[in-house]
Amino acid sequence: MKKKTVLLAAGLVLASSAAYAASWTGGDDLPTSPLACDGTPGTVAAKPYDGGVPTNPPDRNGKKITVVDIPKLIGIGYFNATSKGIADAAKELGNVDAKTDGPTKANIDEQITFIDNYVTSGVDGILFAANDPVAIAPVLKKALAAGINVVGYDANSTPDARQWFVNQAEFNGIGKTMIDSLAKEIGEDGSFAIVTSTFTTPNQARWIAEMSAYAEKCHPNLKWLETVEAQEDNVLSFNQATTLINKYGDQLKGIVGMTSVATPASAEAVTQAGQCGKVAVVGLATPNAMKPYVEKDCVKSVVLWNPVDLGYAAAYVLRAAADGTLKPGDTSVKAGKLGELQVVNGSEILLGAPFVFDKANIGQFDF
Amino acid sequence: MTLRSFLRHEAVLGFLLIVVLFLLAQQSDKFFTTANILNQGRLMAEVGLIALPMTFVIITGGIDLSVGSILGLCAILLGVFWHNLGLPLPVAMVLAIVVGGIAGLINGLIITRFKVPPLIATLATLALYRGLAEGISQARSVRGYPDWFFVLGQGEVLGVPTQLWILVIFAIIAAAILGLTTFGRATYAVGANETAARFSGINVDRTKLLIYTGAGLISGLAAVIFVSRVSTTRSDMGTGVELDVITAVVLGGTSIFGGRGTIIGTVVGLILVQALKNGLALSGVKGDGTIVVIGLVLILAILATNLFSRNGDG
Amino acid sequence: MSLDIAAPRRSASTGVFARTIGTYGQEFIILAAIVALFIVVGFIAPRFVSQTNLTSIFSGNAYIAVAAIGMSMVIISGHIDVSVGSLIGVLATIAGTLAVNGYPIWIAWCAPIVVGMVITSLIGALVAYVRIPSIVVTLGMLSILKGGLISLTGGAWITNLPPDFLIAQFRLFGVPSPVWFMLGLTIVAAMFMRYTAFGRSIYAIGGNPEAARVAGIRVERSTVAIFAIHGFFAGIAAILFATQLQVIQSTVPAGLELTVITASVVGGVSILGGTGTVVGSTLAAILFAAIGSSLIFLNVSAYWLRSVQGLLILATVLADMARRRGVK
Repeated sequence: MKKKTVLLAAGLVLASSAAYAASWTGGDDLPTSPLACDGTPGTVAAKPYDGGVPTNPPDRNGKKITVVDIPKLIGIGYFNATSKGIADAAKELGNVDAKTDGPTKANIDEQITFIDNYVTSGVDGILFAANDPVAIAPVLKKALAAGINVVGYDANSTPDARQWFVNQAEFNGIGKTMIDSLAKEIGEDGSFAIVTSTFTTPNQARWIAEMSAYAEKCHPNLKWLETVEAQEDNVLSFNQATTLINKYGDQLKGIVGMTSVATPASAEAVTQAGQCGKVAVVGLATPNAMKPYVEKDCVKSVVLWNPVDLGYAAAYVLRAAADGTLKPGDTSVKAGKLGELQVVNGSEILLGAPFVFDKANIGQFDF
Repeated sequence: MTLRSFLRHEAVLGFLLIVVLFLLAQQSDKFFTTANILNQGRLMAEVGLIALPMTFVIITGGIDLSVGSILGLCAILLGVFWHNLGLPLPVAMVLAIVVGGIAGLINGLIITRFKVPPLIATLATLALYRGLAEGISQARSVRGYPDWFFVLGQGEVLGVPTQLWILVIFAIIAAAILGLTTFGRATYAVGANETAARFSGINVDRTKLLIYTGAGLISGLAAVIFVSRVSTTRSDMGTGVELDVITAVVLGGTSIFGGRGTIIGTVVGLILVQALKNGLALSGVKGDGTIVVIGLVLILAILATNLFSRNGDG
Repeated sequence: MSLDIAAPRRSASTGVFARTIGTYGQEFIILAAIVALFIVVGFIAPRFVSQTNLTSIFSGNAYIAVAAIGMSMVIISGHIDVSVGSLIGVLATIAGTLAVNGYPIWIAWCAPIVVGMVITSLIGALVAYVRIPSIVVTLGMLSILKGGLISLTGGAWITNLPPDFLIAQFRLFGVPSPVWFMLGLTIVAAMFMRYTAFGRSIYAIGGNPEAARVAGIRVERSTVAIFAIHGFFAGIAAILFATQLQVIQSTVPAGLELTVITASVVGGVSILGGTGTVVGSTLAAILFAAIGSSLIFLNVSAYWLRSVQGLLILATVLADMARRRGVK
């Protein structure tokens, strides 16, 4: 039995490493659209509105509305920040009553149940960040059919299941910014590894795919070593990053963190291993978690949009959709202190380009 | 086990359920509507289905922690059989369920042939089956099923969600098997005293094999319904389902030590948990608060039953 | 259930060697597996056995081993605690909150241990005096602790921990403190289980509570005490867990209870109670940590990692079952 087990295990290992050695592990297989190497903005073909429409919504123009925000999961820094942005916007608008509720783990089934219950309880608007674009669609369509205004942020659903989606940054934009920062820090021929949440998380999978495509196009000599999974777990991320450092030794020049949990944990691993300055950490993260490492010069730069702004924009977009001031075919929307935001890709609202935090500016942010 | 102790468990639970339903209906006028109740039936179908064979498993004194992983594996295989291997969807559905049965059979074989305690055996296969789902899927989802397939998870028959019919039919069958057949009596006998059961001529190993295989098959069926409900496959589907299932079963009065329990109890336990989740959400309690309440109810319900039956025994 | 599992010291007539194997067989198997793993993987990827990597494996997972010690005692006494992951999450948050709010460091270290013991004593009391099965109490407790933690903290990270608080990052003779904790506590617990009357009574209660009662053991009181000891270990595990990094996530670490329980049972603790040692559970915790690390060193495709882990657990368990039959 034991022999069989070992043989089977060996077989699995061989089969899988042979078949999937070509592309970066953890990326999805959707088509990629890497940006130009020199920073020329990508050309976006104008697209007609492809979002959904709520069925016979009551006239909500200017009236007080109750809104529920259902992120992928509650209890992590990133969605605490978006939730704060939504609350800020609700306070500023004065006629929005917003609360955040959701599953304690990024689970498609539980998120669907939460939304379903809120549809039944009769809210006016739903804000969501989808754990799975397709799985969430039926329940969102049900919300639209009940006349509820539905707006997504952070992680999209299929377009026809919601009205608008506030996009923090285009996938290819993230891919370019991350790989450019990486190449700058570890050199054009450096080797690096990736720490991600899980391979099934759509946003992370998309970013990895776009990073891979952009690297191939613009930094062909960068050497990807491997991708490891670390959930959204601090200690696991730390252990995984430490193992990578131990495994590759001097060969490893950089670690890319794909989540706001993985990046600070990787920076901690580098610090505790005494590899500051030898192993670069690049990644998505919130400034508060990264301040200690940036101030100690262990991490040069951190890539992120401002999640507080993301939540803030989402709340404004929902209000505009409920008021009827944001209609299919519009090309921009006013979002309070953020000013005019552009409509792209049919029914997406672009928050802006990803922001790079560094030692000079990180002190100005608190989230 | 006497009929009296039977009734005592169900009486306490039934009373609790009525109180809970009454209180929740006071809190929200959306709670006691036909649409909401039917919809809740849809949402609890997968957990409910798996809870049926789990009742058998726990009555034999065993446990099956791998059901959530089997669900994930079967969901992935449904997609792979249909999309990657190009089989007709009905064939893929049947094959996925069969694989669930095989996974359950493997659990059963490890438990009966190698005498590995069920908790350890299914802890190992929990990791193994989930791992196979991840490995086979390579984190890819399969989508784009034909419309007829969604009847199972999103459709209705005679105004009632399809999967609720399935759940009701299976619950009746399970109750009949457990309550009326030799197999049901063998299940209780195995859990009450395995050695005595063996001596009285019951084929203990065969009984257990059938039960674990059944748990696998039903998990496979739940997987098909789940895929139809959410219209995609992911390798992390069903993570943590085992705890929801076990909560419903033990809340329903099935003894974790074996030998005692009923399908009716399990069904009441299921409805109680689902009503709490839904009703508390409708009355404005957040998800984290709901989790706390369910934990408290679980402990208090068993506590009440214990105190009650002890007093009764004098 | 009539799972016939070899009790320790089962027969005086068999030889010393067979007796030792009978008592410590599982430990030997796991130790052999650990040694074999280090040799084989070290041969393929020499860096795997470098001092830094060995330190990381031991120190990064010591908290699991520490928690598994207490869990083993609970399981040996015939009970289980599925809430241990949530408990560690809650206790870690308490420690961190006290530390950043200016309380003396020793209070931040002691509070989780005390609170842990109070919570597990409560569990023990419900199990012993009200006779609710431990899996039911702890399933409920899992929900209560997890939901309560998120309600209270909202999952806000605890940052700016004072450096003096980070005990898991201290070193003694160049070895990180978690390793010392793991070794020290395992030895103390093993001695306790073997040489004290109370330690031996844990086996008696797990083996046959009625017989234990007849033999004069106060089963209820002892059960509460066993759970309290488990809470003590969970408290220490929580401190090691909380002080590994500069931040505390204040959520429940996913799946930690399964890791801890797996370490205990694979370490030879019978889930039916009555047999097993804490040394085995510590070794099993090390084995799993080493397996996790080695799979990365062996370039096992990350997609297949978990199936390989599952197979290895299964192989260990089956090997143990084969051994027990052989000893019989």
